[in-house]
Amino acid sequence: MVEMHKVIFQPSGRRGEVEDGKTIREAAQELGVDIESVCGGKLTCGKCKVQIHEGFFEKFGIESSMKHTSPLLEQEKKKLTKEEIESGYRLSCNTTIHGDLLVFVPEESRGGGQIVRKTAADIKIRLDPVIKKYYLELNPPTLEDPVGDLERLMAGLSDIHNLKNLTIDYMVLKRLPDVLREGEWKVTVDVRYDKEIVNIRPGYHEQRVGLAIDVGTTTVVGYLTDLDTGKVLAVDSMMNPQVPYGEDVMARITYAMTHEDGLKKMNEAIKKGLNKIIQNVTKEVGLTPEDILELVLVGNTCMHHIFLDINPEYVGLAPFPPATHHSVDVKARDMGLKAAPGAYAHVLPNEAGFVGADNMGVVVATEPHKKDILQLIIDIGTNGEIVLGNKEKLFSTSCATGPAFEGAQIKFGMRAAPGAIERVRIDPETLEPKYKVIGKADWHTHIEKIDARGICGSGIIEVIAEMFKAGIIKKNGTFNMDLQEKTKRIRKNEKGEPEYVLAWKEETSINKDITVTLGDVRAMQLAKAALYTGSKILMKRYGVNEVDRVLLAGAFGSYIDKEASMVIGMFPDCDLKKVKAIGNAAGDGARIALLNKQKRKEADKIARRIRYIELTVDPDFQTEFMMAMHFPHMKDKFPHIQDILDKIPR
Amino acid sequence: MSEDKKKELLEELKEGVINYDEERVKKAAEEWIKNGFDANEGIFEGLAAGMEVVGDLFEKNEYFVPEVLMCADALYAGLDILRPHVKIDESKERLKGEVVIGTVEGDVHDIGKNIVKLMFETAGFTVHDLGKDVPLEKFVEEQMRTDSDIVALSAMMTTTMVGMKKVVEKIKEKNPNVLILLGGAPLSEDIAKKYGADGYAPDASNALSEALRMVSTLREMKKKGEI
Repeated sequence: MVEMHKVIFQPSGRRGEVEDGKTIREAAQELGVDIESVCGGKLTCGKCKVQIHEGFFEKFGIESSMKHTSPLLEQEKKKLTKEEIESGYRLSCNTTIHGDLLVFVPEESRGGGQIVRKTAADIKIRLDPVIKKYYLELNPPTLEDPVGDLERLMAGLSDIHNLKNLTIDYMVLKRLPDVLREGEWKVTVDVRYDKEIVNIRPGYHEQRVGLAIDVGTTTVVGYLTDLDTGKVLAVDSMMNPQVPYGEDVMARITYAMTHEDGLKKMNEAIKKGLNKIIQNVTKEVGLTPEDILELVLVGNTCMHHIFLDINPEYVGLAPFPPATHHSVDVKARDMGLKAAPGAYAHVLPNEAGFVGADNMGVVVATEPHKKDILQLIIDIGTNGEIVLGNKEKLFSTSCATGPAFEGAQIKFGMRAAPGAIERVRIDPETLEPKYKVIGKADWHTHIEKIDARGICGSGIIEVIAEMFKAGIIKKNGTFNMDLQEKTKRIRKNEKGEPEYVLAWKEETSINKDITVTLGDVRAMQLAKAALYTGSKILMKRYGVNEVDRVLLAGAFGSYIDKEASMVIGMFPDCDLKKVKAIGNAAGDGARIALLNKQKRKEADKIARRIRYIELTVDPDFQTEFMMAMHFPHMKDKFPHIQDILDKIPR
Repeated sequence: MSEDKKKELLEELKEGVINYDEERVKKAAEEWIKNGFDANEGIFEGLAAGMEVVGDLFEKNEYFVPEVLMCADALYAGLDILRPHVKIDESKERLKGEVVIGTVEGDVHDIGKNIVKLMFETAGFTVHDLGKDVPLEKFVEEQMRTDSDIVALSAMMTTTMVGMKKVVEKIKEKNPNVLILLGGAPLSEDIAKKYGADGYAPDASNALSEALRMVSTLREMKKKGEI
């Protein structure tokens, strides 16, 4: 019998058992992971590099080691840098598998880039950044007036701009004499909160820029923003480089707990990633990292702790206290980030262990605390965060939706990349589907090679809603196997598990039928029930049965079909006209905090005003969660989509 | 006549549990007592027999968490009525073993644990439920106090799963003969083995069969005088 080994690919999370002696690239193909290959295994292109992560990974229960691979070849060495070899890089086309492995496929080796959906929304905001710029023309020192450079500068700022009691950053002081002379005593001074000089530039400079960063569990995105116009000058994003250490926050906290250098490794990874974003966005507009005068970061509490190099262990254990609720102001250089010499990074406050600075960003962007109407704001990501409230009061909670909405844990789930099925319709008569694939303009209706590779988050929600509407799955999630008489698309797979064929093998690029299994339906039931239960319990605490508006935030939230999400029961009934997808509100909130200092103050105040509700200790949690697992719900009514529900064949 | 009635009521108890019909179970249980039938028989041949079918349906993926929880409500409704009428010594004879169960420190998820507990109870185990977020020492203390055969630990989060290792060590240190069963979403057979547990179960129905297997090995060893 051939020996089998467990192989896990990151960041996709695809895993499976692979025969001993297969190459990593073959294993990737079997498991549906795309790795670039130009030379086809001749060891000449070096495009298929992957990184082997070593150690014991609690989450997967495997011990991954370089010893589990074939020895490094001479030719392979030529294609890899010394640094790469040291950090475990191999060419996947010629490295064979002889034991359990955790393989990270770096961005450049991945076939078909991800569509980054965290684009910037237009926001209207009064510009009042913490950084103010002052132009000065000073008299050079003379024998009669030999006063020091700094005192000369301070006197100038006091006389002309009426700025008193300023301090100066040490790194700025260090270069002060040279800058003054380089600019022939004409300088632009950047002052923070009219208190501290954080940068000084020779001559007159018009532009001031800052960077807003949203550190998501899965995706990191940076918005280079003009502090004078509020305009986004450049956007760059990447997969969070911490993903190899764990797909979700819990796995990362565990990694920090169980590995002595775990926190350090993850902190280094994110620092490197953030600096790459800083390089990319500044380069794009002809600037350098030194031009960034201020940064604002948001992220969930775990991401927050890791990028600040704070032990996240206690956030992972009940009662989940964060290290701090308050916002953090820290020198960018102390965080290891490249920026102007004295620049600060501002991190928005955390509400609770599982409602972090990213949710605060959502609140800053949507301002429920200033409105009369009652809003339910759902931020959908690897973790779901919910805020409910208005002027009167605000509640928040967090629910573990799992990665199902991002395509993980779904048999043919994938990221939103070319080849992903993103929209689905099923004819309730014939049970035939039509679908739309990312990267193709038209809906696909009949058999032809359309190169579908899998289903992304928005596609999964739609296909499940459509299956329910067509009567293929029942209210409780089980398949109606009687329909087997009507279509070949409903069948049992080799494991005896019911499934629905969404795309036949001939239509795909993976040479396999793309199906939606009962297991996928179950994963979605758990995920959507978590969001519904969170919303419902907050509404109960508030003492209402309905809300005035539902906002769906998150990169995923902007592409979600409102109707489909209500049909499966992701949130309580509401007029569909009042449901709005608002995109990456966390990132918008970070930009707002970058552009307006009052908003930061407000954020600190509101963070302490929002009442965090721990769902699992609510006496009704189990019952509510259980009832929410049915489509759309076991008992609750959905009058606003009753016409759709009435049409479902029984 | 009375045998027919008995049969009919047992069927009602069983079907009531399977169809998560609380009222139906309550009615049948009250009638059972009114007819003077043996409470224990009603519990095991009626309610537990129904729960066994529920376990099967769960394993076959026909039933999911909500259905099982509703069946549990029906079952508990029946137990509330029948239990007070159980004769003490008789119930002792039926005991299959004693179990200490709980969700480990730092973890507040207990739906999975509650389902496993239910499986144990219906199979005739005496269950000492410590609830959720249970301090590690509490498991050790409770095992000592009750002299239970099995300690069953649950964790829903990877972060809290790590704590299980310590509990296993501590219990084994005090009493090496206690059997330890681990379960919960982040666990796997390999991890359970690595932590030094005697058994692992991916879900509730497996937890029961695993526990039964563990107890019978324990009994065998006791019989042979190995312990």
